[in-house]
Formats: sequence, C-alpha cells, structure tokens
Amino acid sequence: MFHEKFDMKDTLLLGVGMGIALAAVAAAQSADPKNLLHPPPDSWLTYHGDYSGRRHSSLAAITPENVDKLRQIWRFQTGQTQAIKSSPILVDGVLYITAPDHLWAIDARTAKELWHYQHPANNAFHIGHRGAAVYKDTVYLTTPDCHLIALDRKKGTVKWNIVIADSSKGYWSTNAPLVVGNHVLVGVSGDFDNLPGQLKSIDAVTGETQWIFYSTPPPGVAEPKSGGATGGQMWTTGTYDPDLNLVYLGTGNPTPVLNGDARPGDNPWTCSIVALNPDTGKLVWGFQVSPHDTHDWDANEVPVLVNADFNGQPRKLVMQASRNGYFFVLDRTNGKNLLTRPFATVNWAKGIDSEGRPIPDPAKLPSRSGVLIAPNESGATNYRSPSFDPRTGLLIVNAQDGYGIYFFKPEHGAYGWAGADYGVAGRAFLRAIDYKTGRIVWNHPIGDGAGAAGVLTTQTGLTFSGDITGNVMALRTSDGATLWHAPIGRVGNGPITYELDGQQYLVVGGGSSLYAFAVPKGDPL
Amino acid sequence: MRQTTWILSVALIGVGVVIAQAPPDQPGRAKGAPRNPAQSPASQPRPQTATSQAYSIEQIKAGELRFSSQCGFCHGRDAAGGESGPDLTRSALVAEDIRGDKIGPVVRKGVPEKGMPGFDLSDMDMGAIVAFIHDQKTKFDALGGGRRSVDPSDLATGDAAAGRRYFNGAGGCSGCHSATGDLAGITSRYQGLKLLQRMLYPSGQPAPARPKVTLTLASGQTIVAELASEDEFSISVLDSSGARQTYEKGAVRFKIDNPMSAHFDQLGKYTDTEMHNVYAYLETLK
Repeated sequence: MFHEKFDMKDTLLLGVGMGIALAAVAAAQSADPKNLLHPPPDSWLTYHGDYSGRRHSSLAAITPENVDKLRQIWRFQTGQTQAIKSSPILVDGVLYITAPDHLWAIDARTAKELWHYQHPANNAFHIGHRGAAVYKDTVYLTTPDCHLIALDRKKGTVKWNIVIADSSKGYWSTNAPLVVGNHVLVGVSGDFDNLPGQLKSIDAVTGETQWIFYSTPPPGVAEPKSGGATGGQMWTTGTYDPDLNLVYLGTGNPTPVLNGDARPGDNPWTCSIVALNPDTGKLVWGFQVSPHDTHDWDANEVPVLVNADFNGQPRKLVMQASRNGYFFVLDRTNGKNLLTRPFATVNWAKGIDSEGRPIPDPAKLPSRSGVLIAPNESGATNYRSPSFDPRTGLLIVNAQDGYGIYFFKPEHGAYGWAGADYGVAGRAFLRAIDYKTGRIVWNHPIGDGAGAAGVLTTQTGLTFSGDITGNVMALRTSDGATLWHAPIGRVGNGPITYELDGQQYLVVGGGSSLYAFAVPKGDPL
Repeated sequence: MRQTTWILSVALIGVGVVIAQAPPDQPGRAKGAPRNPAQSPASQPRPQTATSQAYSIEQIKAGELRFSSQCGFCHGRDAAGGESGPDLTRSALVAEDIRGDKIGPVVRKGVPEKGMPGFDLSDMDMGAIVAFIHDQKTKFDALGGGRRSVDPSDLATGDAAAGRRYFNGAGGCSGCHSATGDLAGITSRYQGLKLLQRMLYPSGQPAPARPKVTLTLASGQTIVAELASEDEFSISVLDSSGARQTYEKGAVRFKIDNPMSAHFDQLGKYTDTEMHNVYAYLETLK
C-alpha cells in the first residue's frame, strides 16, 4: 500500500523531492482496484472516494475546534464557462479533474498542471461532467459524444478510444465510470429521445465490451413488462459490495418523459435501484422507487451502502434519498424494503404499497390544464452526493422543498419530453435524515432555489458542503450549526478530503475553479 | 434526467420577450384585446421574422453543432425549448434579429438573473449559431403547432366565481392584493401560462417588489430599507440613494418582511381545482 505520511514541516524542499520519487515507485500499485476496498488516506480513488458511496472520511486533522483556521492553499482554474460538477480523483499525488471534453492532471500539492487532454469539439450535450476513473496506470474519460478514452496516467497520451453509444441518436455521457476488478462500468444519458437505458462493462486493459445491461428493452426486443417504456439511463456512478459481489446503480426516468399514457404499467427498471453482478451484468434484484414516473425524477441518486443495525438486527443496507422526495432503506442482499418515508415536500403519491413503493396519484399526472406538483423537476434532491455519518447515523443530503407545474396533452406526442413542465419555486436545505426512522434531525436552510453542492462528512463530526449564494461551509454534523465558511463561488460538486505530507486537504469546486484548503501547520519555514 | 440547478424556468420563458413587438392577431383571443409584450411565447403563435435572411447550408450545419453542444440542453437541440430555456423559435427577439444584432449581445453577456451564462464565442461561431436559430425558426414556422406549447385555452378549466370566493376567503389573497388595485387590468399585462406562473410565484420582469428589511445597528439606529440580497452570513440593503449597503448578520438585528413567503406557503395549500379557479378569476380582471 502506498504511504507518504512523513512530516515535511521541517524539510519542505527535501520532502517534495522525496514525494515525487516515492510516487514514481509506488504508482503502479496505488491505483489498483484492490486498494478501493481500503482506500489509503492519501487517495480519493473513485467518484465517491470508496465503494460504499458514504462519502465519509476517517481523516481527523480538521476538527470542529480548528476548522475556522482553514486557509486556501491553491486554486486551479479550468477556464471553462461551466461550473465544476465533477469529483476529482487523487492518486499518487496527482489530481484528475474533468469538464465536458476535458481532463486535467494537476499536482495535488500545488495545482500545477501536469497535462491536459482535450477531446475534439462535438455536437452532443455538454451539460456537465462527473469525473474520471483510474485503474493502475490508466485514467478514463467519458465524453459528451459517448466515447470512452483510456489515457496514460503519467503522460496523458491516448491508449485507446472507443464509442460506447451512438450520440447521433441522442445519447450523451457525463459519467464518472465505476471500476470493479477489470470492469470499467460506464453509463450514458439521453431522455430527449426514446432510447433504451444501457450500462456497458468495458475491459479496463483492452477496451473490449464485456457485457451490456439494459434497464429497458433494447431495440427490437419485445418485453411486455416494460409497457413500451424506454429510458432508465444510468448516468451516475454506482456503489459496490465486494462481499456480495453486487454493484448498485440508480436508473433514470422513463421515456417519453411526461406522457405516461404511452407506456402503461410500472415501466421497470426505470427510476429504480438495481443490483447487478459485475462479472456477468445480470440483474440480481431491482426496486422501483418511482413506479410509472411522469415527472422526470431519475433515481440516479447515490445508493449508499451501510452495515448497521436496523430494528435491532445487524443488516447490510442500501439507502437512497431519491429525487422523488422519498427516503428508502433496503436490505441490499435481496432488495427488500425496510423503510420508505418522505424527506421533503411531496404531493404526488397517494400512499405506499405493500412493497414499500410510493403509489402515484392519478390526479397528479401531467394534464392539459396543468397540475401543481411537489417536488418540481429538479427534484427533492438530485445527483449531488449525500454523505452518511456512521457515528450519528445521519444521511446528510442537499434537499429542496419545491413546486412545479406539469402539462401533457395528446398534441405533445409520445416522443422524448412529450409534455411541458415549469419550475415554480423552491427552497434549498442541507437536511439530516436519521436512517433508522427517516426522521429529519436537523434542517439547515441554504437559500432559494435548488442547491448544487454534494456533501462530505468526516469522523471528527464535520459536514462540508455549499450554499446557494457561493459559500463553501463546514457544519457540525450532530446539529447542523455552521462552524466555517468561505466565499469561493457556487459549489457544484461534492467536496473531497485526503492527507498528503501529514496535512489534511479539503478540495472543492467553486464556480469553474477548484480550491484546496488546509489548516496551516505551525509556522512556515 | 436534467439536473436543473436553478428554479428559474419561470423567468426564462420570456428571455427575449421584454423587447418584443406585439404578436400578430391570434385565434382564441378577444378581438381588440390589448397586445402584450410580456406574454409567454409558449402560449401564443410565433412572432413573424421581421427581416428574412439567407444563410449557407455550411453555416447552418456548423451552427447546429455549436448550438447543440452549448445551448441545446436548456433551449432544446432543435431550439424549440428545453425545460429551463425558452423556445427560441417563438422568441420575439429572434424574430426581430438581423444577422445576430440582437441575439449576439444576449448570448455574449448572458442573462445571469435568469440563469443564462455569457458565452465567449468567436464571431464565426456566433454567426453560425445565429444562422441555425433562424433556420430552425423558418422550419418551425412552416410546421405550425408546437409540441411543447401550453395554450391559454388549455388553462381555462376553472370556476371564476369560486376563484373569487377563494381569493377573498380561504386563500387569503385579498390580504395583500385587490381586484381593483394592484390586480386591476392584470390580464392586459399577463395571459395564459405567464399569468398562471405570475399568480403562483411572481418572478421575471417587471421584478416583484423587494422585501422590506428593518435593521437595528449596534448604535441603536434603525433603518428600514429594501432587501438587495442575503445569505446566511450577511445582508445587503439598498439605501435611500439606491446604493447597496452590506452588514454582517452578527453585527445587526434585522427583520425581513418578504411577501413572497406567502406565495410559497400558498403553493402547499392550493388544490389543483383552487389554483385553476383563482386563475379563472384573474382572467376576469380585464
């Protein structure tokens, strides 16, 4: 395992030199997927930092007592107009950060650019990018026009470049792949067109396709159960339980999006949590959080894996605060529901069925004259990562109480959006959910509209996230009280943390820049 | 699956409309009814292109590529509207544009208050995007209809008398509003979807009244002023000269009287029937 925890306080110049030398020696091992099972403190090896999706760090140098001493160490400007929505990857002292068509490798100590890869201009959607993935000496980038590009981690040179979906049909990709063993799991997006949901497993070394999982029937395959629905894209990064050898993924909304008449029934496996065998791509179980969705509420939010007691029994749990406004706890061995409870304002369901799924209220389907729906299209939360704090048992999520108006009439047709909806108003919060009951333990307002920041917790009882007006903030995890803030621009990703040279860093996007903060150690040289 | 960041779609519906000319007469509207620049483009026919322009196929193709990657997510790949951006084929600004003279400045500057960033584009890219938008407008004009449209007639399902009772009674609207005061002639200012949106939660132009702040400074001095902006840590008000004054929240006491709170709370109280009834009542305020 890669180690680099020597204290450089007194030997700064020497220490930097040694760091580089050690990085060169250890590089081949540190990005090995087996390290993902127990990520070293000087790493952030995948979108979530580890396989669990808890986005929780055991680093303890930054505490409630010293968090107000955090100082900016560096800033890296992407030069893009778009805000950073991606999670950086850290391995061997190098950060990999992405934007649509772009991947930068920067020195994690200084933000100096080591190399920059730019993909050719293309006409697919450039809505955002979630991040890169690493496997040994390779870093992977998905592109808006649905290429998966394998690059040499040191040099940024292209090893191979493959097409994972046909962007001319309306697919695009923002996906930060999930690496499990030698499988690079990549998803795509595309709900402006009626396209089946697909996740591909690509051989990490050769770029060969190992398997494809379709959440809705592939073209030309008759599957009456789906009700004619397409969609169910898997555009966010899944989580993985190595003991069960199961990958957990959230699936997106069905298409046509607002026209539910065109696709009767529940439309599995759209708006679902699915458990797949990563070696075969076979579905082991699925749970639909929004049967027959007609409001664009992708269930792509992180399926967070927690081992903890539930009703007095130790359980392997998967939990999701979903875009539709409900918090779900499932037994991740079999997908059986343990808890369903709203965590935000909802008015679209008339109850919970015997399997724990909300029952859509027919009176709240999009209509010709319009219906007022809570939440609105951007959802009670969205893809931004929540964080689970094991000490308090709180899932902390960027939540919104919001309303939208939804319209559908037959003239809107049955292709793509097939309807119209408009956000009306929303109020954003960081909200702490007790996983055992679904009860809201605290609720921290962050402004009007919908929040854009993910959440990170640390074992010292700190919660890092951002507000609507452009502050990165540290809250006390137990009660949500603000302990520190810095105005860096709107936080659009999930903060990450790691330790280098005995110093704990907090790295977070503000606008189109990436910022690193740390508590200075003693006096400078 | 769009990951909307801002709840600004209401405001975005009319990006170009403020400087719009009146739309041509349209079916389903009373003869002699005033024409209205603030009307939602989705609820009325497209304004006609004022000056017809020709563009090369190469330029349009290049524009399609730029448009779909940079603009398509919000405005739709076909420029006919996405969830958060207006249908540009119905935009009065596009109708009035000649070779980018109106589109160009909006794209370069952005419309930050409505969530649209500025785009730093070369003249060549801008020209191509403008060509594509005009070409799409021509195509959609020829097609007619509008697959994402919400027509005023679609919204006309309410009971105006019941809406009036709700307005004056259970809804509590009359606590702040009056049919003969601020809402007199409201239908000459907003119709259709725009009226419904403005009713549910006023935003866009003209901007609703700013919340009023009562500040007590450490000196004991009390200031009553309009709220400019606020976050968890500071509060900014407009002083009597219109200049912005910012105070750390820890250093002052303050009370904000925000009329929007009542609108937000009301969203949780309306039934859909009540919403349509109040809309029908507002429709009678000619």
